[in-house]
Amino acid sequence: MSSVAVPTVERTASVKTGGKWKFMIAGLLILGAVAFVTFSSFQSNAIYYLNLKELNAQRGSLINQPVRINAPLDKSSIQFDDKTLTLKFNLQEDNYILPVVYKGVVPDTMDKGETVVAEGKLGQDGVFYANTLLVKCPSKYESEPNASDAK
Amino acid sequence: MADLGYASLFLSLLFALYAVGAAIYAARRNRADVYASARNAIYVVAALTTLAVAILEWALITHQFRFEYVARQTSRAQPLLYNVSALWGGQEGSLLFWAWILALFTAVVLVQNRRKNQELMPYVIAGLGTTLAFFLALMTIAANPEEVGSVIALPLTSTLAASLVGSPFRMLDFLPRDGNGLNPLLQNPGMFIHPVTQYLGYVGFTIPFAFAMAALFTRRLSDVWIRTTRRWTLVSWLFLSLGLVFGMQWAYMELGWGGYWGWDPVENASLMPWLTGTAFLHSVMIQEKRGMLKVWNLVLVMLTFILSLLGTFITRSGVIESVHAFGVSSLGPWFLVFLGVTLLSFLYLMFERMNDLKEENELDSLLSRESSFLLNNLILVGAAFATLWGTIFPMVSEAITQKKVTVGAPFFNQVNGPIFFALIVLIGICPLIGWRRATFENLVRNFLRPLIVAILATVVLVIVGVNNPISNLVFSVCAFVLATIALEFYRGLLARRRQYNENWVAAGVNLVSQNRRRYGGYIVHIGVILAVIGIAGSTFHQVETQANLKSGETLRIKNFTLQFDGLQIYPTENHQVIAAQLSVFENGARVGSLAPEKDFYPSPNPDMSQWTTEVAVRTTATEDLYVILAGFDDKAGTATLKVIVNPLIVWLWVGFAVLVGGTLIAVLPDPREERALARARTQEVLVQA
Repeated sequence: MSSVAVPTVERTASVKTGGKWKFMIAGLLILGAVAFVTFSSFQSNAIYYLNLKELNAQRGSLINQPVRINAPLDKSSIQFDDKTLTLKFNLQEDNYILPVVYKGVVPDTMDKGETVVAEGKLGQDGVFYANTLLVKCPSKYESEPNASDAK
Repeated sequence: MADLGYASLFLSLLFALYAVGAAIYAARRNRADVYASARNAIYVVAALTTLAVAILEWALITHQFRFEYVARQTSRAQPLLYNVSALWGGQEGSLLFWAWILALFTAVVLVQNRRKNQELMPYVIAGLGTTLAFFLALMTIAANPEEVGSVIALPLTSTLAASLVGSPFRMLDFLPRDGNGLNPLLQNPGMFIHPVTQYLGYVGFTIPFAFAMAALFTRRLSDVWIRTTRRWTLVSWLFLSLGLVFGMQWAYMELGWGGYWGWDPVENASLMPWLTGTAFLHSVMIQEKRGMLKVWNLVLVMLTFILSLLGTFITRSGVIESVHAFGVSSLGPWFLVFLGVTLLSFLYLMFERMNDLKEENELDSLLSRESSFLLNNLILVGAAFATLWGTIFPMVSEAITQKKVTVGAPFFNQVNGPIFFALIVLIGICPLIGWRRATFENLVRNFLRPLIVAILATVVLVIVGVNNPISNLVFSVCAFVLATIALEFYRGLLARRRQYNENWVAAGVNLVSQNRRRYGGYIVHIGVILAVIGIAGSTFHQVETQANLKSGETLRIKNFTLQFDGLQIYPTENHQVIAAQLSVFENGARVGSLAPEKDFYPSPNPDMSQWTTEVAVRTTATEDLYVILAGFDDKAGTATLKVIVNPLIVWLWVGFAVLVGGTLIAVLPDPREERALARARTQEVLVQA
């Protein structure tokens, strides 16, 4: 077998060498740009994700800053004005109570909600003005909370 | 029956493990008989998991509420369609569904490769068998960690099966009169099809990954593994695309906020493997044509597989808050361990085999098709990375700093907006650049006409009064890209007409059918651009308003007038409908009616009854009129409506339909590809000798 000539199967190999560095640099520049956009956007868009206790502790510095909160819902406090689509409710955790106002279409699962994840801003008046609501339902039913987005 | 179902899964696990061991043994000792028995073991797994699926479907359809899964996912009043789809509506069922599809796919791969790839196949079986075993183990032995010991000891008793979190055959110790039923939000035809396509895509990418692993093991790292799995890759990618579009459709019609994409973790989880899969589809062409990017292709297929598993994990574990928010389960650690082991063993193997992964060519010029493909790859992977970062950062940040920081849609839009913009520019430029080394004059000549089209498009947009600079830029680039693709088709047609004297129709048919991969790809690109037009129109030009109306009152938005004709309340098979009757006028002329609804799904358990909002949409080629019944007062007879006009959104769905068509053309058997694969095999044999 060894006497049989094996045809070379190399494809048209480029003789040019040393050109690799330009591709490395070009590639690194692009990855660098993507990484830069990612991290700089992250810096400017990252918001604190707090529970009521943490929100209360940092109350002073958080006024009118975008923040996301996660807290148990007091179902008995839900009020909805169907004329103006204004939803008001309280979040309550231990001794902390936070009144929330949300304008828009109410998530279908609101009355089943155990906890609410809300994104918005804390006003001077101590009311949390939410622009996004996510309602978490009891998990054993695998109920699907409804994302609602007031854009 | 539940015992039979559980037993068939447990036996499947044993057979899958046997197949892994036997396949590896057969390859090491060169034992054809053992290899044959490994193959047969896989066929047995396919048959047994099919039996398990059949049993669960039977239970779902015939209301066997003693099955906990059935009681949770179905009810007597629920339509048959949704009792069937309940199979993949919950965690345990979808694990079974995953394993079942993988078992069937594996069996198909074995049939396809009865006489081919004999060196790779044992390791392919080992890889696929291991993944199968993982999913089967989740359903049969992966209970809460402290319970595992006792469960393994007595796996076949239903009392112990009852404690398994992942088992679809867990039994209740009483017989409920009725089940809870599938969440009404999931009772939508889009939800019937979306998870199926998503899973077919996720599972499908296991096949090319298993071949990549086998190629690494056997050091057969030419393009044979890539060419062999080309159609698996394409079909899986097609299903991931379908998963994306059906998911968006569902969100648009069922979640009722007027959008289709909210950068929710689960949405991101389905986007990430699609992005890396798209990169893989492109970069394999470079390996096939020029023998380059071997390591990169391995990394991409591995990333796609890992991201597919991560997608299943994110959806099923509840670790990240999302619209899907399924119950938090104890499956999380199992998934992470499997992911970690896969990742590490793959990387180890790859570095071990680095010498076999030498490039056969080098890149010649920055201005070449190869570099533009490389650029597209970097951008796609960059987008996947940015999305992954934003998705998992809250978890990472909490683990490290104890402070929870998170990002929302603005972050993803800000990062991925420019990245995707660069990508569509590249779709236009890429076909204009030749392989190896393009000349600048050539480029200018190719660019001129599409550039004129783009400038014309900008002028037209300004004349008709579209003034958003960003959207105008996007639309102009879309015009540019469409023009370059049209030019490609035109050139091909002209060449055929000259060479073969064909008429336009025959030339068109032959052009595409004799080069399915290339022109199928161009058609996919057209689809992507149409989708981008739909996304840009609905993102930058959305208009909305809301009003509280008494019967007879009207509301105006753009050139539409909606007149509220009163509430209609009526029962259906399993729910109560409250519908607002609306007459729609466009520029003063009546063009139709719409009836957005609030539906009430009662349940014997008052905690389980639920409202859902059903939007009403009037779609035309230029815009969607999207109406939500946000509130109503049945005593006063008033309704509060939120109305959104979404321009051009229909092109998003049309674009995906075109993309599907183009992919199907590329998937069809192609004699050229068959010949190329045969050549690659011969070469590989020679190299090995």
